Amino acid sequence: MTATCREPCCSVAPRMTVAELFERGFRRSREPLRAIVGATCTSAEDNTAAFSLDIVDGRISAVGFHASCCATLIAYCEYIAEVAPGFELAIARELTAANLVASVPGVPAPKRDRAVLAIAAFRAALLAADDLQRGEPNNESRLHLRHAAP
Amino acid sequence: MKVAYIFATQRHNISYVLAKMILPQLEQKRHGVDVVGMFFFEDNNYVLVDGNPIGARLHKVAKETGMLLMGCDQCCYEREIADKLFPGVPIGCFPDLYQALAGNMPDQVITL
Repeated sequence: MTATCREPCCSVAPRMTVAELFERGFRRSREPLRAIVGATCTSAEDNTAAFSLDIVDGRISAVGFHASCCATLIAYCEYIAEVAPGFELAIARELTAANLVASVPGVPAPKRDRAVLAIAAFRAALLAADDLQRGEPNNESRLHLRHAAP
Repeated sequence: MKVAYIFATQRHNISYVLAKMILPQLEQKRHGVDVVGMFFFEDNNYVLVDGNPIGARLHKVAKETGMLLMGCDQCCYEREIADKLFPGVPIGCFPDLYQALAGNMPDQVITL
C-alpha cells in the first residue's frame, strides 16, 4: 500500500491568491476549449474573455476559458473555472461579479471591473449551454460589454 | 526633454540610484529633464507600498509634478501588495503603461 503523499506539493490546498490563480489560469487559458463555447465578451478597455464548458447530467463537469493577457482578468476567470465544476447551470448563474470580487482579495479597486467581464463571459457560456439543451443555437457571435453589471 | 524610468533590475536601484540620485534631484528641481513616469518591476515595487519612506517622498513629487508612478501588476500580485500601494498609484502591464503615458509621451525611456 502506498501512503498518501503529505509533502507540501500534494497536501496543501491550492491558494486563491491573485498571483496563484493567475499562474494556474495562464496555463488553463492556453488549453483547448471545452465542448460548449460561449460568446466572446469584450470590455470597454478591449479586454476579452470567452468561457467553454463540459456538461454532464445537467452539471458543469469542466470549465475552460480564453482571455486577454491581463493578470487580474485571468485570475478572476480561473477562480470561476475552479469553483464552478459540480454546479448545476441554475446555481452557476447565481455567481455574480460581487461574489468574485469578495472571493479574490487583493485586487485594487480600479482593476475590479475585470470581474464584471469574467462573469459576463461565464454567463454567455451558460447561455450557450441552455440553448444547446433546448436545441436553439445561439447565433450571437460576439457580446460587447460596455456597462458594468451588478 | 521628457523621460520615463523603468526600474527593471534589483541591485541598488531604489536605495541608491532612485533615493540618492534621482529623487533628491527631483525634489530640488535640478534633475535636468522632466520625468513623466516611473514603472517598477519585481521587488522594486516595495517602494510603492504605502508608508515606505522613499516612496512617500516619491509620491509627494509625483503629486506635485503629475509624474506617473505605476507598479507591474503581476509583480505586485505575486508579492501580495497590489492593494497596499500609495493612494492613486495604479498597477498595470505594458498596455496600461503605454496608455497612461500616451497623453504625455516621453522622448526617452531609461531602463535601470
